[in-house]
Amino acid sequence: MADVVFSSWGGKVVDNRQGGEPQPAVFKLPDNYLDEGRVGAFMGWDGIILYDREVDVVAMAAEYMKRVQEKYCCAKCTPGKRGTRVMMDTLGRIVAGQGEERDLDILAGLADLLENCKCTLCMTAARPVLDSVKHFRNDYLAFIRGERQAKTARAYHDKVTAPCTDRCPAHIDIPAYVEAIKDYRPDESLEAIRRNMPIPAVCGRVCPHPCEKSCRRALVDEPISIMVLKRVAADHEWMHHQQPPMQPKPATGKKVIVVGAGPAGLTCAYYLALEGHKVKIIDMLSEPGGTVAVGIPDYRMPRHLLQREADVIAALGVEIEYGVKLGRDMTLAQLKEQYDAVFLGTGAFKSKPMGVEGEDQGYKGFSTGGIHYLRMVALGEPIVTPKRVIVVGGGNTAIDCVRVALREGAEESILLYRRTRKEMPAEPYEVDDAEEEGVKFIFLALPTKLITENNQIVGVEVLKMELGEPDASGRRSPQPIPGSEYVIPCDLVIPAIGQDPDLDYLEQGDYGIKKTRWNSIVTHGGTMMTDNEGVFAGGDCEYGAMTVVVAVGHGRRAARVMHRYLTEGKSYLNEEDAMEDIINGFGAFDKNEKVGIAGGLHREHQPKVNGPERIANYEEIELAMPESQAVREAERCLRCYRVGMLAVNG
Amino acid sequence: MSQSHSLINLKIDGKDVQIAAGATILEAAETVGIKIPTMCYLKKLSPTGACRVCVVEVAGADKTMTACNTRVVEGMAVTTQSEKLGAIRQQMVELLLVNHPLDCPVCDAGGECDLQDICYSQDVTTQPFAAADVNAPVIDHWPLIQQVPNRCILCEKCVKVCYEVIGADALFVNEKGDKAFIDKHLDRCEFCGNCVQVCPTGTMISKPFKFKARPWELRKTDSVCTLCSAHCQVNYESKHGKVLRVTSEDGVTVNDGNLCVGGFFGHGFLNSDQRLTVPLVAGQPVSWDTALGKVNSDLVRLRAEAGGQTLAGLASGYLTNEEGYLFQKLFRVALGSNNLDSTARFGLLRAVKVLRGQLGLTSASGPLDGIGHAEAVLVFGCDPTSESPAVDWQVQLAHRKHDAKLIVADPRRVKLAGQAETFLQYRPGSETLLAGALAKLIVAKGQADSTWLSQQVGNQTELLAYLDGIDVAAACAASGIDQGLLEEAADYLGTANSVAVIFGRAVTQAANAEEAVAALANLALVSGALRGDCGGIFPVAEQGNACGLLNAGVCPEFLPGFQENAAAGADANSILAGIEAGTIKALYLAGCNPLIEFPANGRWKTALAKLELLVVQDILASELTAMAHVVLPGASGAEKCGSVTALDGRVSTLAKAIDPPGEARPDLAIFADLFTALSGKPAPSAATLRSQLAEPKRPGGKLHGATPALTTPATAELQLLVGKCPFHFGTMTTYSAANNELAPAGAILINPADAARLGVAEGGQLKVTGPAGSAIGRAMIKDKVPAGLLTAADHFAAMNIQQIMPSGSNCVAVTAAKG
Repeated sequence: MADVVFSSWGGKVVDNRQGGEPQPAVFKLPDNYLDEGRVGAFMGWDGIILYDREVDVVAMAAEYMKRVQEKYCCAKCTPGKRGTRVMMDTLGRIVAGQGEERDLDILAGLADLLENCKCTLCMTAARPVLDSVKHFRNDYLAFIRGERQAKTARAYHDKVTAPCTDRCPAHIDIPAYVEAIKDYRPDESLEAIRRNMPIPAVCGRVCPHPCEKSCRRALVDEPISIMVLKRVAADHEWMHHQQPPMQPKPATGKKVIVVGAGPAGLTCAYYLALEGHKVKIIDMLSEPGGTVAVGIPDYRMPRHLLQREADVIAALGVEIEYGVKLGRDMTLAQLKEQYDAVFLGTGAFKSKPMGVEGEDQGYKGFSTGGIHYLRMVALGEPIVTPKRVIVVGGGNTAIDCVRVALREGAEESILLYRRTRKEMPAEPYEVDDAEEEGVKFIFLALPTKLITENNQIVGVEVLKMELGEPDASGRRSPQPIPGSEYVIPCDLVIPAIGQDPDLDYLEQGDYGIKKTRWNSIVTHGGTMMTDNEGVFAGGDCEYGAMTVVVAVGHGRRAARVMHRYLTEGKSYLNEEDAMEDIINGFGAFDKNEKVGIAGGLHREHQPKVNGPERIANYEEIELAMPESQAVREAERCLRCYRVGMLAVNG
Repeated sequence: MSQSHSLINLKIDGKDVQIAAGATILEAAETVGIKIPTMCYLKKLSPTGACRVCVVEVAGADKTMTACNTRVVEGMAVTTQSEKLGAIRQQMVELLLVNHPLDCPVCDAGGECDLQDICYSQDVTTQPFAAADVNAPVIDHWPLIQQVPNRCILCEKCVKVCYEVIGADALFVNEKGDKAFIDKHLDRCEFCGNCVQVCPTGTMISKPFKFKARPWELRKTDSVCTLCSAHCQVNYESKHGKVLRVTSEDGVTVNDGNLCVGGFFGHGFLNSDQRLTVPLVAGQPVSWDTALGKVNSDLVRLRAEAGGQTLAGLASGYLTNEEGYLFQKLFRVALGSNNLDSTARFGLLRAVKVLRGQLGLTSASGPLDGIGHAEAVLVFGCDPTSESPAVDWQVQLAHRKHDAKLIVADPRRVKLAGQAETFLQYRPGSETLLAGALAKLIVAKGQADSTWLSQQVGNQTELLAYLDGIDVAAACAASGIDQGLLEEAADYLGTANSVAVIFGRAVTQAANAEEAVAALANLALVSGALRGDCGGIFPVAEQGNACGLLNAGVCPEFLPGFQENAAAGADANSILAGIEAGTIKALYLAGCNPLIEFPANGRWKTALAKLELLVVQDILASELTAMAHVVLPGASGAEKCGSVTALDGRVSTLAKAIDPPGEARPDLAIFADLFTALSGKPAPSAATLRSQLAEPKRPGGKLHGATPALTTPATAELQLLVGKCPFHFGTMTTYSAANNELAPAGAILINPADAARLGVAEGGQLKVTGPAGSAIGRAMIKDKVPAGLLTAADHFAAMNIQQIMPSGSNCVAVTAAKG
């Protein structure tokens, strides 16, 4: 990583311009911008970072403010609309050699005034300009005295983001969709969501919403209920029988096959179809959604809404064929031959082994895995859930299994986890929901042996655990307590400790597609293209079992790159993609920021059916948030937009 | 709902304030008389926070907060005035003024400009900032409204009123940064003028008003608009005896300062050169004495020759209550004739007779704002956007801001249909079946309040048995509605705690109006629309004071106050037959134009020519006044006093803003002179009349369910539905240049498929032939009308669509061809 010449990032000034012992400063910015050149400087919401002293900071500030004003300023507040224009023009005059010294006071004064902006876009954009006036005053004066000519960088690349948007794996323009809700415009909200995410009814319900962990409102009081507002927008269209407005571009004549109608495949198909490509999806299941359909119970994600999402995508001209499995019904080689590009979104459907004695014996009462149990229930396959069920694991699948078991008639549904509740990867609210429904939890217990009678499971032997030191994941690792073994009687054991991709189809030919040691597909440089040109992959089969929203992000990125591959014959990242990844690596959220505004407003919650009432069926348990309540929630959003700009030098 | 009703305690500038949770700092400050300067704030809109002028300091927060959109929390301490805040506010205004043109002397807002005011109040006297002027050029191509971007402060009030209140969603912010300006989807604009009204500067300008007057020269008269039956508060703003613009006051009446294309632009007819200014006899100007003398002597002669039953009168909903009362008294008392009627015969009266019989109602069951607070709203056979925009605004309020479910049932894809949860696009003629099926489903699902029904409905058993007998599947088939949609609609209505049922012309003027209204009344009963304070049943009248006219007794079957009248009398249909048969020899038309407004008016035209005496009392010249033996120039609503009754029974007072033109006189004075001349008695004074205008008599006893016949509508390849054009109100606004700029002539709306089949192009001539004749209009190709249905409005003399319609129906089978 290059040395920092100057930085004012985060209010911490590091100034190595005068030489001497360099003060250290490390930022997660790349040395090079793609293959264009070296990153010379970064200017953004929290200051300036200068790597290359040849970068003309004054000219860069002028360019930055011009882009903020002309490209990004929404004009919906006075200081933003007019203040950034005055700043832009003032900087422009200075760079053109027509500035005056008092212009510097005007810039500084406006930067202060812009702290009163409606949102943070223009407000934070003024900060690096103010820093430049403060720390590069002599450069400004040189321009004002006519001693300098502006030196523009080889290229500038900018990106508008927000902490929530950046954190969202699909990079949805969250402030835009939240603001549209605030403005009573659910249709515009949905339009904003669909720019990055074509399955909003799904991600409005079952997204783990990492965005809310980067919500600046949380630094004031409580995070915005970002996910639920997405559901409000999605449900509005559905509840009003409205036809989605999207229209595909004229046909390109290119054919694409998407393997898997899960979130990654559906997303990829959606964006490719919008570009005018002819897309066909094949899926081994009998309905759309992949893991979302058969791995997430209907009480969390009603499948008729998933079907509606697929119908919306199909309405763009996408053909979906069900009951067809890659590797069984055709080979990848055949697909490659028939189509101009292939997207693999085959998910992760293979349950991980539990590593317990007897699990490979084929005992009656030992499930092949949580994901299989959920799928059989979802598809209505013949399966009898006995009275006492033990589910092993601490993730969302484990939680879904114990809750489904209750709905399937289990009298006792027990979740066994080797750490404590705090370390469970499942969403805390889902753990609470499960408890409300009557699920029993046994923590700090490690299954060691399956106890059987006549080849039928009758219990599990477990070893008590205690928490030791934090491991690599930061979680305290469980340590067995010797001699603490005891048996929990049960009729069914469901291991739900994770899934792996099933990539057998890659073994049917010499495709050259590399796999990771976790048995997932390797793709390159954010393009989602595998080592086999024209074959792209995304979602769980690429990342390992992860979240819906990661799959959506993959599907969208893959579609963008595939479009270039199909139309230009090259797979590459454009400025938007590249800057998206650079900013994502850099980070757009400062959890230690002092926001400095008045708060004290609670987050709004959607109503929920009572625990005992809801285990009687698979009806959705979270009820729709009334739109007026959603408006109040959306009003809390701070619209934390911010613009970053790189200067690339030779 | 997590918003509690608890009270919040806070301090503002040291004063203790207690206010309900959810309030903003601005609202809290207002309660203790602390005024925080604002620019973009408007109470009836959601807060925008654009201008940043209302910044305040909150203890514990480093940054300033905007008072308009910061909600109060317990223990908050707010400072509204400080040196720091003053400096920020000043700079905000300075920024607003960068490149703001110095055309205040010729700016329409000069003298009533919030920007001028705030410069003054915040002592903004210098301009430290400069920037290139990148304002968009003036937008002049919109009809009636001009947009001057360099005067704009981008407060978004216009955008928000257009969307949140009116529901038009025409205006939007275009472009980024300082180039941003307010633009418009012209096809969505309703030309209500509210963008002009809410504009704090001279950005949105009314072209008809531009350069006509400085605001301080205008005399404001607080009155009521009677172009439709909602009766919005208006201020007639006049100069030199001419109304130059119309505005309305926020927060005073149910229209909350909002106006429509009628209220805001429709007043142009007041200054029309077609205004009648002198009495005419045989087309020649005469004195009032001569004209009234002729009317008097002819009426006396005819009464003496053949009795009072040879005389008849027809009035319109543009008369006041007092005028209506005196008009019927003139006929019943002075002339001894019960042959009197009004345009309501073909619509509202048919609905009111059913509602009165079943529910004891003579107008809506509750106040208009009961719609805005209902949990579910059913709009049935009505386009409120066109028929009564203030009703539309209540629906917008209920649906957009208060989470109400909206169900629209209409053959046409009206604007509200696009906003509704459920749109039931039914076949004309299936209204009774459709409303009946909805009621049945509510009862069948156990969603009706059976306790309330058994207490309130006299024939509950009969009603439930009748509803039970309705075949929902057959009703769906006949009305062309998907049963799933119907069940969804019934579910919304059945589960809501309060329901508003609104219906309009497509129901009240239909061939089966009585049955359809009875079915809607049943639906109101079982859905709980008549229970509680919110919601209700709302018949939308077709003319401004139709409700007042009926209450005044201007129909043969009711005396004033809806007292039943046993005396024989001819209604409009019998009057026509009577003229044709020669048994009616004299007709007095008071503001009523059968040649345009009445169905089968080809017959009327022939009949009128047979009359021995045709008296036309009106304000505007027309084919009718040309036929009249005597023309009496009356006064418009802006030129007289009197009371009027809105569709919800609300009585308001017209205030005289200007004098009638020339020798024209208030209609009441004309009736009074004739009454005195004919009866020899002094006419009652306006005050006496007002006191005699009884509250409507509602029959006592329990409510009743009806058992209207469930007939399956006849099918036809092509039907024509007559209704209203959104830009016109009756015939009056066809004399307003502004309204004619939007809709200069009659149009026939046709589905693209039908247009293609008939080979008709947009704007091409289309000839429709119905049972009573043919009419030719301009084709407007719109998919808001379904294939197989044409629609046309009945304002225009030239097209005169009513000439092809039979009496008592608004929808008939027609043939159509390129004209």
